[in-house]
Amino acid sequence: MKFLEAFYSKVFVNIVANKEGLDVSVEVYAKKVQVSGYEKSFSEIDESMLDFIESYTSESPYYYISVLDSSSTQGAIPTCLKNRLSYYQDVSDCEYKCHDSKWTYYTSKTNLYDMEKKYKRVGIDFIFSPFSVLAHFFKDKLEGQTSLYLLIEDYYISVGVFADMQLLYAEHLNISDYRENEELYIVNDEQDDGLELELDDSIDLEGINAIDDMDSLDSLDDFGDIEDLDSLEDIDEFSDTQDIEEEFNQEQEEELVMNAHSSSSDDYKRFFLIQNSINAFYKDDKYESEFIDNVYVADAVGVSLDMKRYFEEEMFMNVYIRRIVLGDALLELAKEELSV
Amino acid sequence: MIYSYIRPRKKSAVTPEVKLLFTFFGITLLMLFITYAFLLYKDYNFVNDLNLIAQKNAVVNQNLSEMKSQIEFIEKENVLAQKIQTKNSVLKDSITNLFDLVPQSITLSQAQLQKNALILHGLTPNKDVYSFMLQAPLRSIFHKTYSSFYPAGDGWLRFVSTNYTDEEATIKEEVIENEN
Repeated sequence: MKFLEAFYSKVFVNIVANKEGLDVSVEVYAKKVQVSGYEKSFSEIDESMLDFIESYTSESPYYYISVLDSSSTQGAIPTCLKNRLSYYQDVSDCEYKCHDSKWTYYTSKTNLYDMEKKYKRVGIDFIFSPFSVLAHFFKDKLEGQTSLYLLIEDYYISVGVFADMQLLYAEHLNISDYRENEELYIVNDEQDDGLELELDDSIDLEGINAIDDMDSLDSLDDFGDIEDLDSLEDIDEFSDTQDIEEEFNQEQEEELVMNAHSSSSDDYKRFFLIQNSINAFYKDDKYESEFIDNVYVADAVGVSLDMKRYFEEEMFMNVYIRRIVLGDALLELAKEELSV
Repeated sequence: MIYSYIRPRKKSAVTPEVKLLFTFFGITLLMLFITYAFLLYKDYNFVNDLNLIAQKNAVVNQNLSEMKSQIEFIEKENVLAQKIQTKNSVLKDSITNLFDLVPQSITLSQAQLQKNALILHGLTPNKDVYSFMLQAPLRSIFHKTYSSFYPAGDGWLRFVSTNYTDEEATIKEEVIENEN
């Protein structure tokens, strides 16, 4: 019966949950060529949404419904070795998949059951991890120096640090955890002295000027000339790490960023959580800490320019923001999984 | 490459409606095939029976012709038997008549009946007894009669009487009798 598949078109339904409700996009493919595409937003899973999906899925028996894993208990681990997984995270109650034999993404089994239950009336074929989406979206940028990759959704941020295709660190952040993290951040600040020393030992600090603790720098001879940190020379070195190609693309993306939907306060919350996450990456001995120069943001919500400014001014990072349509990203993963 | 946590549900081009359609057509085709096979079998069986009947018919026909020839043979035998019986009865009558012809005084020792002849051997007291009592009736029956005598030793005479009928004369007599 496999040969019959060639006579039918393939219908891809992608469902993305956001703060307004659910965005449903439908793409119809015939012999690997897109025939048509439709989009509609719904406030909840109701009859109108089911009718909308049914009107397209009834065209072909080969339809695939993809959703993005929106659970909070998920993440990624920088190894595929099963005996090393527990070193980073207890995955006994989790479903996990190895990505390209390099790193692992996971989610709790309870969340998967909940999602299957939630979409029971629709029926789902694929549940994709935001880390898979992130890695696939930035697959042209994962090679090379250590960089921070972010997938920004309405309620969640997927943080991944990659170096030469290898994941070094990942965290799935929930914006609603902002308050708790704020307190945590204060506690972390109190331990900053120790952190700076650790950074000195493990990271090449050339070009870094994001050092707040002046007292600790005074004690280091190599860093005696603090004024030079703001000199043009340092700025040039900072510029060397920039992604020229991405800079060019940014000019085209700039307009999109200008039409941001996200409020500045939300962006600050996001930045705050991301900053904490990066600190955790630097501090935690489990992870191979490497200095991060560039930040690649897959923006699904329309972040404001403030976000970019926060990173550039407070963390001295080059920020490149790309707009991502999550429905399209899910479609790409589904197509790749089905070899369409 | 596998990205999803779950495997997609099994997809099949065969919907329940199509399954029902296939089942219906399948059953119909099966019934047609079975009917066709049954008819083929019956046709084959019929041809076989026809051949057998033709063979039996040929055997029966052969037997019939054999029986006909046997009947013809038996009929011929019957006719022959009737002829023989008639001849035998005629012969019996002739012999009876012959012995009736022989008087008490003459003793026959041998009588030979041939197709157109009667040869008698016997004893007679004398020639006269023979001539009057036996030869005279024989002459009336046969066309030619020859007698020869030789003494028996005790005064009696042995005689041999040879009597012939003329076939042409007999046929003529019969024709004349029939004409009368």
